[in-house]
Amino acid sequence: MKNYYLSENDFSDFVTRMISTKELIAPIAKGPRFVFSKIKSPSEIRLDYDVTILPPKKEFFPPRQNLVKFSSKGYEGCIDPKEKILFGVHPYDVKGIDITDTVFENNKKDMNYLANRRAATIVASNIQKVSSRAFWDTVGADIKAKGHDAFLTKISDGYHFQTLTTKGDALISCGKFTAATEKQSSEAKKVNESVNGTCPEKLKHSSKDIAKKVRDSFSKKEMWDKMAQRCFSCGTCNIVCPTCYCFDVQDKWNVDQTSGVRTRYWDSCLTEEFSKISLGAGHSENFRESRGSRYRHRIMRKAAYLNETLGGPACIGCGRCSSGCTANIADPVEAINTIMEVK
Amino acid sequence: MSRPKVGFFDFTSCEGCQIELTNFGDAAFLELLNHIDIVEFREAMSEKTDHLTIACIEGSFSREQDRARLEDIRKRSDIVISYGACASTGGINALKNHQDDYKKCVYGKDCNMPHLASQEARPISAAIKVDYQVHGCPMDKYEFLDIVSHLLHGKEPVVPTYPVCVECKRNETVCRYDDGDHCLGQVARAGCGAICPSHGIPCEACRGFVHDANEESLVQTLIEKAGFSKKRAQSKSRMFTANLRSDAQ
Ligand code: SF4
Ligand code: SF4
Ligand code: SF4
Ligand code: SF4
Ligand code: SF4
Repeated sequence: MKNYYLSENDFSDFVTRMISTKELIAPIAKGPRFVFSKIKSPSEIRLDYDVTILPPKKEFFPPRQNLVKFSSKGYEGCIDPKEKILFGVHPYDVKGIDITDTVFENNKKDMNYLANRRAATIVASNIQKVSSRAFWDTVGADIKAKGHDAFLTKISDGYHFQTLTTKGDALISCGKFTAATEKQSSEAKKVNESVNGTCPEKLKHSSKDIAKKVRDSFSKKEMWDKMAQRCFSCGTCNIVCPTCYCFDVQDKWNVDQTSGVRTRYWDSCLTEEFSKISLGAGHSENFRESRGSRYRHRIMRKAAYLNETLGGPACIGCGRCSSGCTANIADPVEAINTIMEVK
Repeated sequence: MSRPKVGFFDFTSCEGCQIELTNFGDAAFLELLNHIDIVEFREAMSEKTDHLTIACIEGSFSREQDRARLEDIRKRSDIVISYGACASTGGINALKNHQDDYKKCVYGKDCNMPHLASQEARPISAAIKVDYQVHGCPMDKYEFLDIVSHLLHGKEPVVPTYPVCVECKRNETVCRYDDGDHCLGQVARAGCGAICPSHGIPCEACRGFVHDANEESLVQTLIEKAGFSKKRAQSKSRMFTANLRSDAQ
């Protein structure tokens, strides 16, 4: 771990140099929102963003990812990692990436994800603006963000830059960095600590207590049905979630009718047919047929089911689901606080 | 499947889907012609065959006298595909189903001419068994091609059953509701790639409703998030879903 300082004036040269070495992905404005996108010029970068529409996992696990190309001659895998720098990732999203790292590493390694992940350098950044539905400071608060290679913090007259890995160290040659003074490092520390406690939404209980109560509430059918009454089964709450990792695999033929491609698409357990399975001989069954049972499943997944595997909840408190749900019912804070109060 | 004999038929419609199809003009459609034989196509030929592998039908069933023609097509065909909103859901034609002055509005003083007589607009499936539906107004030619490709390979075509929001979010489009607008994507059947929101315009559900569309919740969202009056919120989705709404006539 090394601490550096970069002056405000030298920032855009640093970015320009990074762009010339690797693909640089950073937050930019898109209408009234923000997205992670490939950067062409330093002025596009918006480190004052609140939250992006989609989480940065899309760089490793894109919404549509080709897996295999086939033709009459045979088939070929599509793994083709590009070296990328993922720049300006908020700490809650670093935790999200840590979670997808775990699930794609576990059991059978998913190389379609891991190859892209391993080719990436992740530069985290401090949160300059807190989004309106965030609650990252009260969810799994004891879990530290890890897996990033460097951490950039905006301080009074420039940036504090902490490198954590050799990939992080490698970026130093792109900018006019100097060793950070103790004063600069302690300012950076203060900046990052001061955002804690500023999230507009709050969980009131520990992850452990929540996991237990949520699990124990499994059979409260009426409660779940009521919570999901307005649900569109539109899948938004899954698709925008940094920790959701389900996908569907489909084949498409090219017009020549002999070659084609097998692609995976982000899937969503809130949609009606997600849990429809074949029973053979033309029969099928949907084991989560009601809106309530699908809504319950997502809350179970985020607050209880994965806690042992991950060492904490599968929710990092970004609030993307809360703001994306047009029926305004997806907010885990509202759901969990309600469940905690129901006798 | 051995080289299929395909026929195209049209009923009550603007024939926009046929134009969308033949507009393929590009490599895609010409290449498809290497794999199928088009044996009937009103726009281009007058022959009639005894047996068709695939019949592609455009337009709504809106006149009782069309029933016999549809039954004849069904009898001659192994597979029937309805393509476009008119054929698959009744589409925009079904907007007349809850009104009684439409003939006068559209045809004025000629409104009682016998050839203008029609009934409610229904999907083709209201008259005959339809095996596959291609949704959209107009239909998406690539979806049509994908369904035909699956059939050529003897596979079941897979078409999305989830709402447009799934594709819209995969595209990372700014939600219309976050831009002070409205949208019906939450209840509309996906498959178009959420093309309208990606161009900054609301989804009008031209591909029809998903199964179990939450109409009540939509009305509430349109009132609360888009600032619609109750009346407008309640009628909003009718343009393309008149036959699918709970108040369908
Ligand atoms: S909870 Fe909200 S975002 Fe999730 S599927 Fe239901 S309506 Fe869509
Ligand atoms: S459940 Fe919602 S708040 Fe939690 S990580 Fe997923 S999108 Fe973010
Ligand atoms: S679905 Fe639309 S484009 Fe196709 S025929 Fe009907 S009105 Fe025309
Ligand atoms: S713009 Fe429409 S389709 Fe897209 S997420 Fe919003 S409501 Fe859904
Ligand atoms: S976004 Fe909606 S209106 Fe537009 S093509 Fe798709 S289903 Fe039709």
